[in-house]
Amino acid sequence: MARMAMAQEKVFALRREIAKIEGSLPERLAVPEAGPGSEPVLRRYGRLASGAGFSVAETGAPHLDAALGGGILRAALTEVAGRETRDSGAVTGFALALAAIVSRGGEGGRTARPILWVCLADMLAEAGFPHAPGLEPFFGIAPDKLLLARAGRLEDALWAAEEAARLGSFSATVLELRGNPAKLDLTATRRLHLRAREAGQPVVLIRHSAEPQPTAAPTRLLVSPASSPLRETLAGPLPRSIGPPAFAVTLSKSRTGRNGTFVLDWNSHDFAFQERWPVGERRLVRASGRGAQDPGHLAAASFDGPDFASAARAGLALKPERRRAG
Amino acid sequence: MVSHRQNNAQRIAALDERAEALGLKPGMGIADARAMYPDVEVIEADPDKDRLLLESLADWCDRFTPLVALDGRDGLFLDISGCAHLFGGEDAMLAEILRRLTHQGFDVRAALASTPGMAWAAARYAKADRNVPAGQEEPALAPMPLAALRLEEKTRIGLESVGLRYVGALIDAPRAPLARRFGRMLVTRLEQALGLVEEAISPRLPVAPLSAERQLAEPIGTTEEIEQLVLILARTLKHDLERRGEGARRLLLSLFRVDGAVARIMVGTSRPQREPLTIAKLFHERLSALEGSLDPGYGFDLLRLSVAVTAPFEVEQTDLAEGVCDEEEEFSLLADRIRARLGEGAVLVPVLSESHLPERRARFAPFGKKAAGQKAVSPQTRPAEKIRPIRLLEKPEPVEASAEVPEGPPLSFRWRRALYRVARAEGPERISSEWWREDKPGPTRDYFRVEDMDGRRYWLYREGFYGEKAAPRWFLHGIFP
Repeated sequence: MARMAMAQEKVFALRREIAKIEGSLPERLAVPEAGPGSEPVLRRYGRLASGAGFSVAETGAPHLDAALGGGILRAALTEVAGRETRDSGAVTGFALALAAIVSRGGEGGRTARPILWVCLADMLAEAGFPHAPGLEPFFGIAPDKLLLARAGRLEDALWAAEEAARLGSFSATVLELRGNPAKLDLTATRRLHLRAREAGQPVVLIRHSAEPQPTAAPTRLLVSPASSPLRETLAGPLPRSIGPPAFAVTLSKSRTGRNGTFVLDWNSHDFAFQERWPVGERRLVRASGRGAQDPGHLAAASFDGPDFASAARAGLALKPERRRAG
Repeated sequence: MVSHRQNNAQRIAALDERAEALGLKPGMGIADARAMYPDVEVIEADPDKDRLLLESLADWCDRFTPLVALDGRDGLFLDISGCAHLFGGEDAMLAEILRRLTHQGFDVRAALASTPGMAWAAARYAKADRNVPAGQEEPALAPMPLAALRLEEKTRIGLESVGLRYVGALIDAPRAPLARRFGRMLVTRLEQALGLVEEAISPRLPVAPLSAERQLAEPIGTTEEIEQLVLILARTLKHDLERRGEGARRLLLSLFRVDGAVARIMVGTSRPQREPLTIAKLFHERLSALEGSLDPGYGFDLLRLSVAVTAPFEVEQTDLAEGVCDEEEEFSLLADRIRARLGEGAVLVPVLSESHLPERRARFAPFGKKAAGQKAVSPQTRPAEKIRPIRLLEKPEPVEASAEVPEGPPLSFRWRRALYRVARAEGPERISSEWWREDKPGPTRDYFRVEDMDGRRYWLYREGFYGEKAAPRWFLHGIFP
């Protein structure tokens, strides 16, 4: 018994040493004391990982928060990837929603700080410029709180994002790229993550039409568009209307090691997500007061498309009509 | 020998000493010259290249004085007022300029005088003394031919035909009859040369209000060395800026290469700066962006940092405990650095204006411009916004769409070669063109928010109406989250 404990001690010491060299957090999942069934507890250096310097922002979706280990990390690099460039609305929207969540929950006055949006010039031509009148009502980013840095080369964009992350006085830095450039490797993401961690400031990396590849970001989310819920009116949901933004999000890398797919509606009043139902489990949960139990809501689901789960399948990109079109 | 075309014949424009020794003269026909000496080498004159050469020489002469002006095709004026002592006096400076230019392989003549006219004459026609002291213009000018006065060809021939061949003959002559007969210009030129009338030269480059420079005995070439020197120069400038109560909005670094080429690097700031470290940082970014395109050759032997544009510097009292912790300051500094590295228009901020057209409603303007002038529309005074996309395509992209009912939303559309089937649509929202802004108003647009079968949400519009002469066209303009 004692020898085992000694060995474990040694393993931890080594792990800590490695973490020191790598500059990453030594994290592990501990078996929760309350028994199976309850959420896993994240421990860091033996302490519960909810102290200062490890602050998370709740997204508002309980299952996603649980899978994320409490919420989105404030001081970290978060990767938001989309499969196709034409999904740029959903991917950009989700990334900005994360930025809004992170700057919303911060200490007083944090929301007053601007967001720096670094992007490559060809991305602006491809997916369009950010449109300030749309950003404010959706994500609470006032026009004078947005700075756009347009880079011609990836190196320049990375440099600008790193410098902004190092400065630490933006509420968030958004770096937008397309595809899997060779220069954005593990080292580059690690540098971004380190800068974000040191400055205590979130960096959101948007990758359009990207294949999953190794990343140093503790969280990676694959975002696809999802049919929006119907618009709520006093007389109930309005048929055939387009409601708040909705995303089908697959958590493909997280600190807890738990993955899953979630369909989230964005509440632009509270700047929080509302979970529709976890797609993997195929059952309806009451995400918030109304919604799931609402018959109109269900009707909308069957009306809009065959199955919400399909929205997150990889085969989405290759629907027959698109193949014909291409 | 250089030839040029004059009156439909190739004539000699310029020649070197050896050709001169053969008895050839400028203005002689090339055919004649070839007949006399079949093996002379003739080169076609290239005025553009001559001009470029003269300009690069002028750049090089910047090291002696900031006031350098081009004079015709083959001359340079250097205003060295207040500069001569830096080079050990007027004579030493003249000798130094001549020596260095001769080393570069130029056959150069130079003279120094109190007036540009006198210097021009002395450089071309003085026999021995090339430095004409103030007050000595008259005796120096008197024995020179009339051409020394920079006269028009016609005037000169006219004067010579009445027997006036030397300037001396004009100096004492009554001015009024001269002006009447040969034009006002003659008298002006004469008086300019004598210093009776002020003549200004027009420098090629605007003179910087402040500059600091450093001559180097040993040329430098590496970026690090340049950056170190920039820091030293910026420290020198700081005192001057402080004395004037100003900060720099635009800085120019001139690098003079040993072999005469001059590189200029411009850096702009969004708010007045005077901190040497900040300035050095900006140049660091600029230089690292230029890496590769900045050719040090054999090295730079003179660096000059000038403040091209200044602005009043507002001194703010800083918190004793916190030190300088101005966020705005930080943002503008970062923006300046990004701009220095990525280019002038790299950092943009949205600017809203009162308009219904989405592309006019919000536009991006370079960072820093806004701070100087207009203020964005404040959120309080804005009317409630309609639902707007978060991304707007720079130009609306035409799509092929089919609608169920003529004025209704599209049923399906093809954008960038992919087909989208519309599941739900909201609209239309009619936006007319702004006739009060445009001479020729564009067609009315009907905007629809649509969601396709996969949940992508787009903003489409139909331009024009059904039943009109031109069929309505569909465009995709924005993307919703």
